[in-house]
Amino acid sequence: MRSGRPSVSEPETPPEPAAAPSEPAAARPESTRTGPGRLLVAVYGLFALSASARAVVQIATKFSHAPVAYLLSAFAGVVYIIATVTLTAGSPRARRIAVVSCSVEFAGVLAVGTWSLLDKATFPDATVWSGYGSGYGYVPLVLPVFGLLWLRYWSRRTASRPAIAPATGDAGESPADPADQNPHGNRSRSAR
Amino acid sequence: MSSVNGAVPTTIIVVGLALAGYALLMTALNRRVGFGLLAVLGVLEILLLVLVGIIVAKLVGGGRPAGLATLIGYLIAMPIVPVIAGLWGAMERSRWGPAVYAVAGLVAAVLMVRLHEIWPAIRV
Repeated sequence: MRSGRPSVSEPETPPEPAAAPSEPAAARPESTRTGPGRLLVAVYGLFALSASARAVVQIATKFSHAPVAYLLSAFAGVVYIIATVTLTAGSPRARRIAVVSCSVEFAGVLAVGTWSLLDKATFPDATVWSGYGSGYGYVPLVLPVFGLLWLRYWSRRTASRPAIAPATGDAGESPADPADQNPHGNRSRSAR
Repeated sequence: MSSVNGAVPTTIIVVGLALAGYALLMTALNRRVGFGLLAVLGVLEILLLVLVGIIVAKLVGGGRPAGLATLIGYLIAMPIVPVIAGLWGAMERSRWGPAVYAVAGLVAAVLMVRLHEIWPAIRV
């Protein structure tokens, strides 16, 4: 844990004991899986787990009951897995795949949501995307929007500063010291 | 016995929602994950493991829910989710680490309601 706080101001005790941890938050996220991406990947991972596990159970135990719904659940699970993996990797190629999968996801929520409302006979059992994700607090509806916004932020940022893209070595790349990877516009993390 | 069965899921809901509120406060205050959040998440994890033990004991004792496969999936996922969320959130150096903890707390609370739907013998 770094404890450096801005050395310029406030020479005396800071008003809150945890003033130091708040300081790195001002730094820009160094990859698609950090900063807001940390939360995004967590929620995508959660839906990857729940949608695919649910589909496996449904297809294995009672496929004939609602085949369309269960296949759509499985499809949603695959889409969530792709988004989780690509957002975690964060390379330019992974981000391009993520844009496609988030777009498919958004289209899928809208299409399946509408379909499930119009044709209830086809959906005797719910999918993740039924009723626009109403069974999951409408998180499936807003998740792809935040995903695409996050990816747009990254494409714009790397378009203006190509050097930042965490391009080298998708898999093995480890955020050993993010400060090294992010030399631009980074408010100094530690007092020099 | 039944009071014990109901007490643990209810406590998990309370602790999960408390964790979510505490974590969202930390996010709003721009803090990273600290000892307090780790401690509450640890308590939640212990409670979930206790509940897994209670449910397994019910299954061994001959109880059978309608959706047994789903229940087994929940038994596996329930204790794993806070561990992964805890590691993933602690790796983050910004306010978004506590946000991951908030998700873990909410998920634990929602899982209790779903468990009751799968198997009404698990009281909330």
